Amino acid sequence: MEMRHLHALLKQRHSLGQLEPKGGKLAFVTVPRENLRGLLTELRDVHGFTHLVLLTAVDWMEDGLFQLTYMLNNRGRDMTLGIRVMLDRQEAQGDSIHDLWPTAATYQRELKEMFGIDFPGSPRIDEEFILEGWTDLPPYRRDFDSLAYSQQTYAERPGRVTHDPREYMKSKLYPDGV
Amino acid sequence: MGLREVLTPFTVWKHVFDEPVTIKNPIGRPAADRYRGFHQNDMASCIGCGTCEAICQNAAIDMVPVDGIETRTGDSGLRPQIDYGRCCWCALCVDVCMTGSLTMSNEYTWVDTDPDAFRFVPGLEEPWKDDEEGYEREGKRVLSGIERIHMEEMPPETRISNFEEIVDGYSRAEAILEADRCVECGLCVATCPAHMSIPDYIAAVRDQDYDRGLEILYETNPFSEVCGRVCTHKCETSCAALHEGDPIAIRWLKRHIVDEVPFDRRLELIGKPAAPTGRKVAIIGAGPAGLTAAFDLARAGHGVVVFEALSHAGGMMRYGIPEYRLPYEALDRDIGVIEAMGVEIRTNCRVGRDVTMDALRRDYDSVILAIGLNMGRSTRVPGTEGPGVEKAVDLLRRITDGEEVPVPERLVVIGGGNVAMDIARSMARLQMQKYGRVGVTLTALEDIDHFLADREEIVESREEGVQIFDARGPQEVVRDESGAVTGLRTWRVKSIFDADGRFAPAYDEGDEQIHEGTMVIEAIGQMADTSLLEEALTEALEWNRGRIRIDGAFRTSEPWLFAAGDAVKGPDVINAVADGHRVARTVMDELAAREVMQ
Repeated sequence: MEMRHLHALLKQRHSLGQLEPKGGKLAFVTVPRENLRGLLTELRDVHGFTHLVLLTAVDWMEDGLFQLTYMLNNRGRDMTLGIRVMLDRQEAQGDSIHDLWPTAATYQRELKEMFGIDFPGSPRIDEEFILEGWTDLPPYRRDFDSLAYSQQTYAERPGRVTHDPREYMKSKLYPDGV
Repeated sequence: MGLREVLTPFTVWKHVFDEPVTIKNPIGRPAADRYRGFHQNDMASCIGCGTCEAICQNAAIDMVPVDGIETRTGDSGLRPQIDYGRCCWCALCVDVCMTGSLTMSNEYTWVDTDPDAFRFVPGLEEPWKDDEEGYEREGKRVLSGIERIHMEEMPPETRISNFEEIVDGYSRAEAILEADRCVECGLCVATCPAHMSIPDYIAAVRDQDYDRGLEILYETNPFSEVCGRVCTHKCETSCAALHEGDPIAIRWLKRHIVDEVPFDRRLELIGKPAAPTGRKVAIIGAGPAGLTAAFDLARAGHGVVVFEALSHAGGMMRYGIPEYRLPYEALDRDIGVIEAMGVEIRTNCRVGRDVTMDALRRDYDSVILAIGLNMGRSTRVPGTEGPGVEKAVDLLRRITDGEEVPVPERLVVIGGGNVAMDIARSMARLQMQKYGRVGVTLTALEDIDHFLADREEIVESREEGVQIFDARGPQEVVRDESGAVTGLRTWRVKSIFDADGRFAPAYDEGDEQIHEGTMVIEAIGQMADTSLLEEALTEALEWNRGRIRIDGAFRTSEPWLFAAGDAVKGPDVINAVADGHRVARTVMDELAAREVMQ
C-alpha cells in the first residue's frame, strides 16, 4: 500500500514508469534520465530515502542500452526503492549525483572503470579504481571476452589434458564408429 | 594543511591498549557459511557432461577420467579437474551444473609447497569433500531452461475421428527457445543407435541455419523426416537436462529442421551421387534398413535395386505406423530423396514368387536381406483359431492399403507395445467414424510402468478413450455357441519372468475377468517371413534362435548374402537405419576387396 501511495504521489510531479513491486518493502521504477535528479532529491529530502544503498549497472547489449540502478532506502520505514535509468550504450554517459550523496562518486568511478560509463564532473572519475593498467574493453561490458582475455593474459600450467565428453564416450563405447 | 589534520592521527593512541579486532593467525578461521571455497563434487550424481568446463571463463577446468567411474549411457565417465591457479571462485560452474553435483565448500585456506597439489579432481580425497557449509545454488539451475517448450497437439476430441497428424511441430521462435536449452554436451550421441550429431544440428537450429542442419542430419540418417516424428528417441533418456527438468525435445527439433527445408532444396543440398562403379547390389525389403543401405550404396556410385513385395515402399514405417503419427507424404519425401540417388525400387515384386534368390545371387554382386518382421505372433491361447481374432500387423497393413477392415463396436487388444497402441488407436478412430464412440479395451501382461510402448502413446491412447487393463494374462478367447467371439478371459499377472529370468508368467487364478468384445486383436510381437529363402538356402544358412545368424558386420554365413534390420536385430526405425549404414559399409568394403582381388 505504502509503495503504491508513494508512487501515485510522485507521479504527480515526475515522469515515472510503472511501479514494479518485489514484495512489500522493495519496488523498482524506471524514469527518464532528465527526471532522475529531481526525483532523487525529492525522495531524499521529502520522503526519507536518505540512504543510497548502491548504484550499479546492467549491460543490455542487444538493446543498445545500459541500465543504471539507484537503490535508495528509507531506514525509518524499512522501504527500498530501485530507480532505473536507461542510457544509450553508444554514448554511455550518466549524470553525476555526487553532490546529493558523496558516496556516489565511488560508485561512479567504479562504473566508469568496469562499464565505461562516464559521469562528467564526478570527483576523480578518470582515476584507476581497482584495475591497474587496464587496456582492454571495460570488463563488465558483455562484449568483453573473459575467456579470451584470461587465455591471453595468464600462462597455462604444463601437463593439463582435457577430454571432450562426446568423443571420449565414442572411444569407450563405440570406438569403430558403430 | 591545518592544525586538525596534524593532530588527528594522535587521537588513535587512545585505542592502543584495546583488544584488537583483527585475528593474529587467520589460518584455521572458518569462513562464512556461503563462502565460495574449494569445490566439492558428488561423484555419483555428476554425469561428466563438461558444462562446467564449457562455462569457465578462466579455462580452469579439464574433464578427466577417474578410476572407478565407468563410461555408460548418460555418463561420460569423465569428471572435472580444477586448476586453482586459474580459478577465480566465481561459481559459474556451480550455477550451470546440470545435476547440481558441483558445489563449493567454505574451505579456503590451504598451504602446500607443491603447486600441482592445487590442481585436482574435487570429490575424491579432500578433507572438506563432505562439508555442509559453502556455496551451492539455491533451487534448480537457471542458466539453461528447465521446462521444455510446449508442443501444440490436436486435442483428443478433434483427433479421434480422423487420421490427421496429431503433432503440430515447432514454429521457428519455439524451436530457437527449445534449442537454446541444450548445453551441447553430447552425452546423447552415444545413445542414438545411428550416433546422429545431435548437438550440432541443435546448434544449427539456434543459428537458424537450416541448410547446415539438414546436411548434418543426412550425414547419419536419410530418414530424418520420419525419425523426427516417430523415433523412439532414446537419446532423450540420456540428456543432461533431464536431471533437473525436461530433456531437450531432440526429436521435435530434428523434425523442425526437415520441416523448414523445402524438398527441392533438400535435393540440392544432398547433391549428386558419386560416379557409377559398375557394381550392382540387390536389396530385399524397402523398409528403413534396406533403404538406408540403398541410399549409402547409391551415394557411393553402386547400382541398387530394392525388391518390395507390397505395393509401396516404406516397410513398417508405412504399413505399421499409423498416419496420425507419420503422414505418408512425410515418408514419401524421405523415400523420394533416396530414389533421387538413382535407387530403383521394384514394388509388388515378391522374392520367391516374382524373382528367385538364385537369380538375385547370379545377377548382382551382393544381396542384402532386410525383410523386417511382418508376421504377427499369436498367444495361442484357446479360441485364437477361427474368425474374429486378428493380428495387429495384418490389420494395420490393410488399413494403410485402404482396404475395408471389420470394425466391431467393442474389441479387445492384447499387448502393451507400440504396435498394440497403434492398432488400438487406429481401431478407435474407425469406431468413432462408424459408431460415434470408442470401444477398445487393451490388456497386457506388464504393469503400466513396464509397458514397452512409449509413454506418450499410453497417455494419448487413454485420452482417446482406450481402456487399458495392465497385468492381465490372456487365458481364452471366449466364443458363443455359434463360434462368434464374445470376449477375452484374463487372469491377473503375478510375475512375468521366473527366477532365472525366463519368460514364464505366473497368474492369480482367483482374479479373473472377461473383457467384452466381438473381436480380439493380438499385438504381442512379430516374426520374419523367411519362406522366400526356400529350402536349399535355409539349410545352408546358419541360424540363431529362429533368426539368421549374422556377424558384427552383418554378414550371414553365405559370402554373397548380408542381412540387416528388424529381421536380424531390431527393434525400431532408428536401429534399422543404423543397421542399414553398417551393412552398406560392409558390402562396400567387400566390393572394394573383390576389386583388389580381380
